[in-house]
Formats: sequence, C-alpha cells, structure tokens
Amino acid sequence: MKKILIADDEPHVLRVLKMSLEKEGYEVAVCANGMEALARIEKQAPDILITDIQMPLMTGEELCRHIEEYMPERSFLIFVLTSRTEIEHREWSRSIHNLLFLEKPVSIRNLVDRLDGYFSETTDSWKVM
Amino acid sequence: MKLNQRFGLIMIVATLLVMAATVYILFDYQRDERESLARAQGLDLVRLLGGMSWDELAPAPGRQGFLELLRRGQSNPDFAYGAVVDTAGEVASEVTRSGVIIPANKIADEPASWLGQQVVASRNGDTRFIESHAPVFADGIHRGFVRLGYFEPRLQLSLSQMPFMATLMLPIFLLVPLFYFLLRQEIKPLRRISERFDHLAEQAGLNHVELQPSQALSDFMEQFSSYIEATQTRIEVLNREQESLQMSSKLLTYRNNRIDAILQNFPDAIVVIDEAGDVSYANSKVGRLLGIEHGNIIGRKPREWCSDPKIVPLLTFGDVKSGLQSNQDTVQVRLEDHSEKSLQFSVYPLFVPGDESRILGRLVVIRDVSETHLMRQRQNEFVSHVSHELKTPLNVMAMYSESLLTEGADDEQYRIEAVNVIHDEVERLSTLINNLLAINQYELGGVVAQRKHVRMHEFLEDTFANVTRSRAEKGLAFDLEIPREMSMVYIDKDLFRIAVNNLLTNAIKYSKPGGRVSMTATEDDESIEIVVADEGYGIAEQDQKQVFNKFFRSTDDNIRQQTGHGLGLSLARQIVLMHHGDLSFSSELGKGSQFRIKLEKVSTQIMDAAAS
Repeated sequence: MKKILIADDEPHVLRVLKMSLEKEGYEVAVCANGMEALARIEKQAPDILITDIQMPLMTGEELCRHIEEYMPERSFLIFVLTSRTEIEHREWSRSIHNLLFLEKPVSIRNLVDRLDGYFSETTDSWKVM
Repeated sequence: MKLNQRFGLIMIVATLLVMAATVYILFDYQRDERESLARAQGLDLVRLLGGMSWDELAPAPGRQGFLELLRRGQSNPDFAYGAVVDTAGEVASEVTRSGVIIPANKIADEPASWLGQQVVASRNGDTRFIESHAPVFADGIHRGFVRLGYFEPRLQLSLSQMPFMATLMLPIFLLVPLFYFLLRQEIKPLRRISERFDHLAEQAGLNHVELQPSQALSDFMEQFSSYIEATQTRIEVLNREQESLQMSSKLLTYRNNRIDAILQNFPDAIVVIDEAGDVSYANSKVGRLLGIEHGNIIGRKPREWCSDPKIVPLLTFGDVKSGLQSNQDTVQVRLEDHSEKSLQFSVYPLFVPGDESRILGRLVVIRDVSETHLMRQRQNEFVSHVSHELKTPLNVMAMYSESLLTEGADDEQYRIEAVNVIHDEVERLSTLINNLLAINQYELGGVVAQRKHVRMHEFLEDTFANVTRSRAEKGLAFDLEIPREMSMVYIDKDLFRIAVNNLLTNAIKYSKPGGRVSMTATEDDESIEIVVADEGYGIAEQDQKQVFNKFFRSTDDNIRQQTGHGLGLSLARQIVLMHHGDLSFSSELGKGSQFRIKLEKVSTQIMDAAAS
C-alpha cells in the first residue's frame, strides 16, 4: 500500500483528505506542522508528501528545504498546497527536485487522479498542473 | 631736452661761473695789493723826498735831480709820474712815464693838508692816479711840494700769470667730469624709476606728458607727478576691473550656492564621480544614508571610503567609458549602526552638454527605498496572508462539498460534520471579508460613523454572546460583568461591534486552553470603560509598540499558531478613535492581556447635541 503523509495546520483539511484518500486505498498519515512531518519522514519515508505552506513551528517551505538538504537521495514526490499563483512565490522551490504545486482550493478527484497516474507509471499526466 | 643733458649743461655753466669768480677774486686781490703798495710806497717816498732840500729836488737846468734818480730806480710798474711844484703849482721838475701828463692838482694852503694822498684824474679824465704829496722846504721856508703819482690799479690779466691760471683752472676743469659722473651715478635710480614710469605709461597706453624745457628743475617732479597720475588712472581702471570681477565672482558664488542648495536639499543622495573615478561632488545625504562622514568622501575613490562590498560596485559600475548607459539596482545594506536599509542606486552618465560622445563622469543617485520596500513587503505579506486566509476556508469547503457529493454523502454523521464545517468556514470568510472591507473603506476615508442612540448594556451583552457562542472548543470560561443600568451612548453600532468583537476574538484566540475570558464595563459621571481581559499568552514587550500597526503579527510561536492577518487591533483602534475614545492595553507575557476602551460621555453628549 502506498504511504501518503499530509502536513497541514487545518484539521478539517486533514480529516477530509485522510478519509478520501484512504477510501482510494492509500495509507494516510497526518500531522499539523513541519516539525511533526519531519520527525515522521526521518522514521519512515512516505511515497508521497502533501504539505501546506503556512504552518506554525515549521512552514512547508522550511520543511522542503530541510528535506532537500538532508535527504538529497530521497525519491518521494512532494505536493505543496499553495494559495498563491504568482511565479515569484514559487521561486524557492526551484532548488528542490521532485516537487509540484497544488493550487487551492484542491479538488480531491483531481488529486486522486494524479496520485493514481504517478503510481501507475503509465502516464505523465500527473505532472500537469 | 633730457634731464641728464640739462644737468650736464648746468654743471658746465656752474663750473665756468666758479672759474670766473675765482679769477675775479684773484685779480681783485692783486689790484688791492698793488693799490696799497702804490699808496704805501708813494707816501714813504714823498716823506723821504720832502726831507730833501728844494735844490736837491729842483736842480738847476742841465743837472740831474733826485726825481730822475727816482724814476730810474723805480721798479713799480704802476709808477706814473713824479713832480716838484712850487707853492703856486708851477712845475719845477718832473719825471713821467711815457705818455703821462701830470695832472693838475691844487694842494690846499693849510699846513695840515700839505702831506697827504689823493686820487687825481688825468686831464682827459681817462686815467686816475693815486697821488702822494709832501711839502718841500728850502732853508726852513716852504717852497713847494713834491708829488708822486701811481696809476690807480685796474683789473687786468698779465701774460705772466697765465701758467698760474692754467694750473688753477685745470684741476677745476678736470673735476667737472668727475662730479658729473658721480652725479649721474647718484641719479641713476631716479633715472631707472623714470624709465619704469615711461614703460608703465606706455603699457597703460598713456601719452607722455610734454614738459617745458625751461622748467628744468621741476621737470622731474612734474614728470613724477604725471606718472603718479597715470598710475592712479591705471589703478582706477584696475580697481574697476577688479570690482566687476568681484561682482562676477559674487554672482558665480551665488549661483554656485544656489545649485549647491538645490543639490543639498534634494531628497536623494547625490554622488558625482569624475573620469578618474574620484568623487567630485557629494551632497550631505550621502554621508547620512551610508553612515559615512561627509568630509571623507570628496576627492576619494568609493572603495577608499566605503567598505560595503555590495555598494562599491554600484558606485563604480565598471569603468567610466563602458558606463554609457544608465543603470539601476536596489540593494539591502546593513549599516554600521546595524540598521538595515533598502537603497536604490541609479547611475547616469554625465555627458558634455551638446557632445554625447564625451563623458565627464557619472552621476549616482541613491534613494532610500526602505519605506517603499517595507511597504511593498508588507503589502506582499498582506496579499499572501489574505489569499491564504481566503483560500484556506475555501479549500475546506471545496473538499467537504466535493466529498459530500461523492462517497461521504451516505454517512449521516459525516454529512452533519461537513455542513457544520462549511457553515463555520463561511462565517470565518465573512468576518475576514468584513474586516478587509472596513479597513479598506476607512483607509480611503469613506467610512462615516452612522451614529445612533444605543443602549450600552444590550449592545455589550449581545456582542459578547455572539462571539462566545461558537467558541467553546478550548474549554474556556467566559465572564461578563456589566451594570444593569447603563447610559445610552451615541455610537455607530455596527462599527463599534467590530471593535469589541475583534478584542473578544483575540482574547479567545490567544487564550491558553481552560483559561478565562472576561468583559467588564464600568460607568462614572464622565466616562464608560469596557475592559476585555484574558489569561492567555500575553504580548512580548518588544511587540507591544507594534500591536496596533496594520499587518503586524508577532513572531511568537504561540501567536503564529493562530490564524490572523494583523488587522483586528488596528481596526479596533481606528474605530474607537473615530468615536473620540481611547484604546489602551496592558499585558504580561505568559499571563494575559487587558484591552481597555474608554469613551468620554461628554464627547458623546456633545456629539448628541450636534447631531440633533
């Protein structure tokens, strides 16, 4: 079963995503900030990390930078939930590989499709925003 | 005639005069000598002859008398005649120098004047003689007189005196050139001065003053005064020129000062760098902006007075020749006093006016864009925040509604949960939008308080209930203490609700779980006071100054955990101020905060009167 880790400070988001993705057959773990997420990843790397940007203690951006720096070999894909569409606000992500943005509001259907596509490795459609 | 030529002439004339005078004095002296000799000799001789007898003096004819002896033995060239006369004046015997006729001379009969001397003129009056006479006796009887005449000496030059004269004149004559030479030496400086004046006058374009040759003595003085006049004229011309130069200089200084004043008062810092790369001008703002002493900048290269590696390349921008194009860059610099500034450097080439191929240097304008930068940064943060704040509830609603449409619709409990969540999020969105609109309106000056008479008791109770109703999740205790009877106040109910609402929401948001949130109101004769207190995280001291600033959010992690956009307190304060009230607070980190609204009753009454 593919493991998905979700980091978001909004409990409702965590609840809906967890429920929806579990129904699709994924193993879902949730945490409320970057710190928690990092602790989990260090114990066991997920297959996918979905993270919000604005979170207390450690933001999504800090989490991604940290991962890039200390786990350069990591293979899992990162989805970053963002409310900003401007390119300048995504500048920081240039130096981080295997990272995609998911714009809010997020469609659960769309997310599931992309996850399925990513794991089936038959199509590249999951890369398209 | 030149001055020195005249001098020479004067010298010669003077010498001749001196010589003539010398000769005259000499001759006069000689004449006096001869006269006195003639007088003495004459008198001695007549005395001698008077002692002789008549016969001896006037012998019989054919015999040689003493007179003949006298004539022959006479060496005095002035001797003229000798005669023996009887008492009647008849000549008894005589000797004369050739060509001399004995003049007539009647000697008085009185014995006192028998012996004497007198000057006697010749018969034709041409010649004068000095005659000495003495009585002659024969046998005790007065017979007559003996008379001896000498030529009265005249001034005359004898050839025998020529060598003496020549010897005398020669040294005098020889001394003249020597004196002349010495004199010339003496007046040489004067001549030089004169030549200089001539030269000066020529240079000044002045005409030489013609001098009358007769005024030889005053020539020099006149010439001198004319030169002085010429010099004065020249000095006047020069003075006028200097005055006009001074005027021009003053004008230039004034213009220079004006330009300097403009540049000094220019809002931005200005640096001019010449072709050699040295700073040729910098206004005082440069030093202030970069934290460098102004005096250290001029005439030096930027790298000599600026150590910031980010600034130096902006001031130099490569070499001058390649800097033909304007360039602009903004950098963040940390100054020596640790303040951080955003500086915008604009570099412009300075062309020679009318010749764009020649560059005089570069003009660097440094503008402090910290404020703008900060404002932009805050706005960016604000937009980022707002979009996050807007999209987060939207995201939750989208997810819940999507899940309701699909799998979750069957689950009754999930459906209730989803609807509740969506309802909450709508409320959250609505509050945010209201706040945003209010603050926007307020900033645009579009908010006019719609004041009405409001019952304070009901208003506070209602507001408190609305806020606390849906926020029981932290297990907070809510306290409301307001007097049963309160005055009517004249306020904009909707605006005031936002203010109180924001204070209450903050108190709840930043409370620790299980804490207490209270609202108390008191009233006295002058004012109404509303206090919202919590037992939450409190506000750190360094943040206290900024809590009313728009968009300000504390960096404290406890605060950051809560969503917020830094608008609530700013808005609350603006609303209270609008009602002529005062919003203050006291807070202690870790213990909680109290926010205090104070409304003056007088001001509300005045407003009341004004409105009605």
